[in-house]
Amino acid sequence: MIETWLLWLFAATALVAAGLMLVLRHPMRVALALTATMLSLAGVYALLGVHVIAIFQVLIYVGAIMVFMIYAIMLLDVRDRSYTRRFSRLLAPGIAAAVVLVGVLVLAVWRALPAPNGSGAGSLFALQRFSVEFLNEYWLHFELVSVLLVAAVVAAVAVLETGRRNRG
Amino acid sequence: MLIATSVALFALGLAGVIVRRNVLVMLMCMELMLNGVNLSLVTFAQQSASAVGAVLVFLIFVVAAAEIAIAIPIVLLLVRRKDALDLDLYADLKG
Amino acid sequence: MSLSHPLTLIVLLPLAGFLLNGLLGNRLGKTFVSAVGCGLPILAFAVTVKCFLLLQASGAAALLDKAYTWAAIGGSSFEVSFYFDVLSAVMALIVTGVGSLIHVYSIGYMKDDESYARYFAYLNLFLFFMLLLVLGRSLLVLFVGWEGVGLASYLLIGFWFEDPIKASAGKKAFITNRIGDAGFLLGMFLLYQTLGTLDADRINAAFMGPALPAVSASLVGILLFIGACGKSAQIPLHVWLPDAMAGPTPVSALIHAATMVTAGVYMVSRMSGLYLHAPEASAVIAAIGVMTAFFAATIAIAQTDIKKVLAYSTISQLGFMFVAAGVGAYSVAIFHLYTHAFFKACLFLGAGSVIHALGGEQDIRKMGGLARRIPVTFATFAIATAAIAGIPPLAGFFSKDEILWYAFASERGGSPLLFIVAAATALLTAFYMFRLLWLTFFGRSRMSAEVEHHVHESPLSMTGVLVVLAVLSAIGGFLALPHFLEPLLPLPPVVPPLEHFETPLMAVSVAIAFAGLAGAAFVYGGDGGRAEALRRRFAGLYRLLSAKYYVDEAYEALIGRPLVWISDRVFLRLGDQKIIDGTLHGFAALARRTAGGLTRVQNGSLQFYALLLLIGIVASLAWSFRHG
Repeated sequence: MIETWLLWLFAATALVAAGLMLVLRHPMRVALALTATMLSLAGVYALLGVHVIAIFQVLIYVGAIMVFMIYAIMLLDVRDRSYTRRFSRLLAPGIAAAVVLVGVLVLAVWRALPAPNGSGAGSLFALQRFSVEFLNEYWLHFELVSVLLVAAVVAAVAVLETGRRNRG
Repeated sequence: MLIATSVALFALGLAGVIVRRNVLVMLMCMELMLNGVNLSLVTFAQQSASAVGAVLVFLIFVVAAAEIAIAIPIVLLLVRRKDALDLDLYADLKG
Repeated sequence: MSLSHPLTLIVLLPLAGFLLNGLLGNRLGKTFVSAVGCGLPILAFAVTVKCFLLLQASGAAALLDKAYTWAAIGGSSFEVSFYFDVLSAVMALIVTGVGSLIHVYSIGYMKDDESYARYFAYLNLFLFFMLLLVLGRSLLVLFVGWEGVGLASYLLIGFWFEDPIKASAGKKAFITNRIGDAGFLLGMFLLYQTLGTLDADRINAAFMGPALPAVSASLVGILLFIGACGKSAQIPLHVWLPDAMAGPTPVSALIHAATMVTAGVYMVSRMSGLYLHAPEASAVIAAIGVMTAFFAATIAIAQTDIKKVLAYSTISQLGFMFVAAGVGAYSVAIFHLYTHAFFKACLFLGAGSVIHALGGEQDIRKMGGLARRIPVTFATFAIATAAIAGIPPLAGFFSKDEILWYAFASERGGSPLLFIVAAATALLTAFYMFRLLWLTFFGRSRMSAEVEHHVHESPLSMTGVLVVLAVLSAIGGFLALPHFLEPLLPLPPVVPPLEHFETPLMAVSVAIAFAGLAGAAFVYGGDGGRAEALRRRFAGLYRLLSAKYYVDEAYEALIGRPLVWISDRVFLRLGDQKIIDGTLHGFAALARRTAGGLTRVQNGSLQFYALLLLIGIVASLAWSFRHG
């Protein structure tokens, strides 16, 4: 019972924080709102029983990505026109299209939704069992992703080198 | 329900990409989109008790990290060149 | 020696001359050109004489020579065949005979010209086409010759084409001819549609036969006559002939006096069977003929260029021929054609001799007193002038008298009015011709000293031809051509009560001739003071006449300038530039504007692209609902 209630709470928090993201002015505050959303989602994952994902959400998303983001925001504290005028010219069409998108997507998913067998395989996502199954069945994906990471590293170095060369 | 929430998160993220002017805020909204997708994946994985969903979420984490790792430096360099964070000014590929 | 295709040979000989002189003439020198250029026409004349003798021997049957089948379309075939009856015989003899004489004359006249070979090539080409015209059996072959002589005329009028005035005179001739040819073509189309054939003898037989064909003979007659107006310089298409004097004088003699301009008369006579059944058309022909004759004669009185006087005289004499044809006296028209060829050619060549003697001077106000200095030219010119004026017993008297008689008394359209106008024209003819003779050869010399110093008689190649033609002008009338042509072209019946007027009218025509002579001698004899006084008294009339009634100016203002205006404003600016170019530019502009519009999608704004993405997703999801 309390689980359902908590679930709803965390989901609502995520939504509210996401909405705040669109409205807040200072990029730092926007980053904090995003962090709140991510933490709420981590709570949702945990409540659903998928602890593995919840942990990694916090570790990777909040711990690495958002920190990096905040560093970038701190470095680029440029108070230009985007600070005073938050919204682009496409405010009205954007919001309208997003609303329509929500409606259409919900409709689509509702039609195609399979019957929930909400049994919740709790033990499936226990850390040990999950890791074994992951590296047994999906090791190829794992390796490919590591290649992707190498590529990302190389790209980052290249970008920095170009930047350094441009600045002389 | 959770699916509706994930759809709403995704739509909010996309709206944010379109609507906000600041480059960094736009990047963060893209992260929001990814989070929405993650939520839907997890929901379905838990409901149908298959590990595929979770694996996909895991991979999405990695991809998001890599993407941010590249995007931020690029934005940094661009902003240093133009000295502005306003997306309207980044219309160099016009026409 | 018997020839299998003599008529084809006659036609091909000048063509060979054209090809040889045209292609090789410049390389092989003047002697070669002269030999080929004159020899082949003389040979053609010899063959024509042979054919004539053959015709006489064979009695009534005409010679027929099928050269080849041009086209066989459906059930009908168009052949190139040549037909030799008494009419074609007369015409062919004139064309080759007088033509050869003029070729010989040209040797002396064009001696110093650098385009000697081209000249003879064109002259032979003309002869080829003219022979096609007179010997052709079907109207189609005649028309090929008709157009061809127009082409040759253009080439020869504009012979000295470096002078733009001369070149445009050639153009004027060709274009005016073409306008007439439109009528001719329509007439041919009607004939072919009704009768299914264009052979002249068959057409005549169809019209003379028991049942008249189902086409208005008058309509066809008038259409064909429009072509004749263009070719034979009748009103309103006469404007090209005076300008055509820009060409060399032998060309004027051959083409615009003796042969090409008479093609219209020949055509009408050839189609006599048709015209006998077309009283309206014949009336039109007679009316236009007499009007043109009078009109041209009045202009000739006031002209000061020796060749222009002769040009208007030609127009006037052609009008006489058409008067005869219009009242049904076709053989008389041909008779006048025949005598006219002699004396007009002699006059033109004599004028050429005068021009040659004076080193290029053509204005008769600057001549005078030449009688003693160039006697042969003077003598031949005088004989020809007397012939054209109608002084008996020279050739012109016989033919002109016949025309005046039939204009008065023919049952097929003769009337006193026609006679009076024709007689007045004859009076004017005598007057202006003797005026020409007086001003050129008599009186005090009005030449400049330098020109006078160089006056000399022309070489034998020129004076010899003049003598021959003068002799023919003198005795040619005794050959009773109408009687000779009687079997083919019968003379029209005379209105019975008027029959006893024949002798008095003959006396009248003689009197007219002498009156003209006397009048000219009176006005222009002596020191010319009386002429000057007359000119001052009738200054306005004189100006009108010497300006040719302002016909050219009227055509320019009424037809030329509006056409240019229409071409410029309507067709060029509106049609071509605005509509056609505008449509093309419009398509291009449409493409450009569409592209411009579509380019706005790529405005570089990332957010805009994201929005479009979003809209696309929504749209495709919504679409998927339609199909469950």
